[in-house]
Amino acid sequence: MALLELKDLSLTIDEHKILQGISFDVEEGQIIGLIGPNGSGKTTLFNVISGFLKSSGGSITLGGEDISSLSPSLRAKRGIGRVFQNFGIFRDMTLEENILVALEALPKDQQKELGDLKEVVAGTLDMVGLSDSGKKKAGSLSGGQMRLLEIARTLKAGKGLFLLDEPTAGVSPKMTGQVADIIKELKRSGKTVLIIEHDLPFIGSICDEVVVLDVGKVVLQGTPAEVKESKELKEIYFGADPTT
Amino acid sequence: MTQLIINGLIAGSLAALIAGGLALVYGVLGVFNMALGQMALIGGYCTWWLHQIVGLSLPLSIIGGLTIAAFVSWIAFEIFINPFYKRHRFLPLVTTIALSMILDGLILLFFEEKPRAIMPGVRHSIEVFGARISIEQIVLISFTIMLMMVLAYVLHSTAFGRKVRAVVQHDHAAMSLGIRAPLLHRFLFIMSGVLAGLGGIYLGIDQNLTPVFAFPITIKAYAAIIAGGKGNIWGAIVCAYLIAILEQLVVGVHWFGSFYVPAGYQQTVALLFIILFLLFKPAGMFSTKTRSA
Repeated sequence: MALLELKDLSLTIDEHKILQGISFDVEEGQIIGLIGPNGSGKTTLFNVISGFLKSSGGSITLGGEDISSLSPSLRAKRGIGRVFQNFGIFRDMTLEENILVALEALPKDQQKELGDLKEVVAGTLDMVGLSDSGKKKAGSLSGGQMRLLEIARTLKAGKGLFLLDEPTAGVSPKMTGQVADIIKELKRSGKTVLIIEHDLPFIGSICDEVVVLDVGKVVLQGTPAEVKESKELKEIYFGADPTT
Repeated sequence: MTQLIINGLIAGSLAALIAGGLALVYGVLGVFNMALGQMALIGGYCTWWLHQIVGLSLPLSIIGGLTIAAFVSWIAFEIFINPFYKRHRFLPLVTTIALSMILDGLILLFFEEKPRAIMPGVRHSIEVFGARISIEQIVLISFTIMLMMVLAYVLHSTAFGRKVRAVVQHDHAAMSLGIRAPLLHRFLFIMSGVLAGLGGIYLGIDQNLTPVFAFPITIKAYAAIIAGGKGNIWGAIVCAYLIAILEQLVVGVHWFGSFYVPAGYQQTVALLFIILFLLFKPAGMFSTKTRSA
């Protein structure tokens, strides 16, 4: 059974069809890349999966449970972790508080399993090389550091499925390598990830499968090599070749 | 001068209670509640009614007044805010103006235009640095400062407070961590109504309650949160005190020889604060520079 199943998912806002008949499965331990031109509905699909937008039709199943009608916070409690395109960190809170608030939002039994939360916070910051900045406000970090903090926090708080929305956007080339290493570590540890990214070589290097969206529909799905070679992908990004 | 500053601290404590609660709500929901002054008066008038008419003791009357303020805030949220604020953040501006008119009518209907004092009678005053201050005013200022310290502890040193601050700063990220932001939205709105109600009780103990106080209370609270910076509760509280002290100084000091500003212009200080900050420092006095990426 797939961890996440999207069946005939659609979203209509003011008679505009934003998403149409989206169906695909994400198996446990898979990393699926979601690509497509700007406005194709990638972030909107993430908003529907995480509950910030209510779908107009279809269903979302997580671990066999239909979560279509659940609120974003209940979906998070079911194990969906999210990294936002526009940095979902709490800028006026310290780095330590950013991690701590995520741990404190976990159910009590999970908090007990983690042990001393202050030690977990220290370990999490150490994992991303920010242990010296624990008392600093998160808003003072560089884009790359903010992204590392957000990913580290999501990894500690989420447990089933991770939605990463352009994790390398707004990050310097040097820090992009560090972000990529963490995502590759996720893959090695068998985590399930759905990732939106414009960097196609990066997507090709980490994903098991790629789903291509265009004008709110799934137009292509396959391994990174299959998608890379397909004529449809070139047409979506560059338009149809007039010589053929 | 000392008397003017003490008067400013007294008025500032009242404004700080209301502006502190409003800063939390404005930071979280981003909506304008134009009925805030009326909500403050509801708390004050209901306490007056319970104490002076029903005959309950002052502590019980205050608890009753705050309970009614909480109930009115909850009803206001469910009818005038919740159905609208997600569609457009300016819609509650209109709906709460309607609410303020309804509450104005109800206040006139039930409590009339006469001045109402929760504790009428002679005040026992003491002299502090040459200025007169009543025992009641000392209690009210001390209570406000204690309440602010408790609020600071809850917001910065408890798990609940961290969740509130997370929702204020990025409610989608907070929800994606499992924090129930809509429940906190409702709770904070009711808390803001309770703090406003407390402000109304403060006013009713220190002075007389009259329906015309509602609009100046609302404007002063907004001036404090605009000057303090969006969602910055401590900025709002400091600015509430600052505006109240400036109001006293503007009309109380003979600035150029015999020239003085007429008392009727006292309320314009808050309006000037709003205009000047929106023109020259729209992010507020205590905004900190954070990197956008």
